[in-house]
Amino acid sequence: MRPFTLNYAVPQRVPAVVTPYHYDASRQLNVLPDGRLAVSDRALLHAAGTTTSTAGSQTHFDD
Amino acid sequence: MTVLILTSEQDVTADMVVAQLQERGVPVMRLDPADLPGKAVLSADYAHGDFDGHLSVNGHVLSMAGLRSVWVRRPGEPAAHAAEASAWLTAETRQALYGMLYSASTRWMNHPRNADQARYKPWQLRIAHLSGFAVPPTVITTAPRVAQQFAEEYRDVVVKSASGPPPDDPGLALPTTLIGPDTDFSAVAAGPALLQRYVPKRADIRLTCVGTRLFGARKRAAPGQIDGRYGDTGYHWEATAVPERVVKSVHEYLTLSGLAYAAFDFAEDEEGLWWFLECNQGGQFGFIELETGQPIAEAVALWLARRTPDRRLPESRR
Repeated sequence: MRPFTLNYAVPQRVPAVVTPYHYDASRQLNVLPDGRLAVSDRALLHAAGTTTSTAGSQTHFDD
Repeated sequence: MTVLILTSEQDVTADMVVAQLQERGVPVMRLDPADLPGKAVLSADYAHGDFDGHLSVNGHVLSMAGLRSVWVRRPGEPAAHAAEASAWLTAETRQALYGMLYSASTRWMNHPRNADQARYKPWQLRIAHLSGFAVPPTVITTAPRVAQQFAEEYRDVVVKSASGPPPDDPGLALPTTLIGPDTDFSAVAAGPALLQRYVPKRADIRLTCVGTRLFGARKRAAPGQIDGRYGDTGYHWEATAVPERVVKSVHEYLTLSGLAYAAFDFAEDEEGLWWFLECNQGGQFGFIELETGQPIAEAVALWLARRTPDRRLPESRR
């Protein structure tokens, strides 16, 4: 028998997140292609959705 | 003295704090336990009645004697990126890394011991009771008859997962869902069900706590909206004042749980009362800061950078 709670599971689209930044190991920060810090572009972070409360839900159960 | 941040490389919320620390000239080491062994290297010596340990990654080196604080942000599983990854290697690497860190004298946000306990939602409800929060009546049960009786008593109840969606199926979400007493509860026998009285809400509240600093944020709820995490309502998060009664309860909760960081979720009802839903010991704050402008990353950085323990707080929250 399927556990009761799973009766309320719904499919969700898993977005193919393409982050326009990469990790710079020496700076220990993510940087944009032009060298600026990713965190300097707040609009981009917001659009990427990587800071939201569901961003880590698949791997962390406390978001 | 160095701040150690345990998180993945892709974690841009951690970037917000790293940048704040670097602006203040505070040394930082950012490490994903998944990169140990391999990209990261560890050595700890327990000899002659003394202890020392070292971590290195990407050219950065940290001695346990120079460890200022540890932020457990979003660490990967130890050894997850190892060439010969296995459950055994993860267990061995966890022993080496966290055993060494526990041996050092440092401040934690949050200590894994407290974080592990704080993740249990039923335990959260009990601590919320003891802290004086308004908590919706809740039952977690594997008895269909108990679930049925609960639904008949409270009529409108929600079902929610205690642990989140199935981790092995990223294509599934488990939003909090409204159900009624006519529901067939027989499947409750196949797995614990967490049922809670539905709180008709006019807003969602996210209260982020960093040490003793509180950042309240509020987002209007759409009519009939159940789970604020799903669906775009067109409303945005805005900074909001925290009622004095809630402030007192939050400080009590943090004392009882030993947490230095926490993100509380409340439902604000039509009378303006904040109902406790849950407390996420590692809850996201990036989206709140981006929408409200509240300086949460700065508060985290200042907490991590502090050299002297706050004597007003219990040891686990220093």
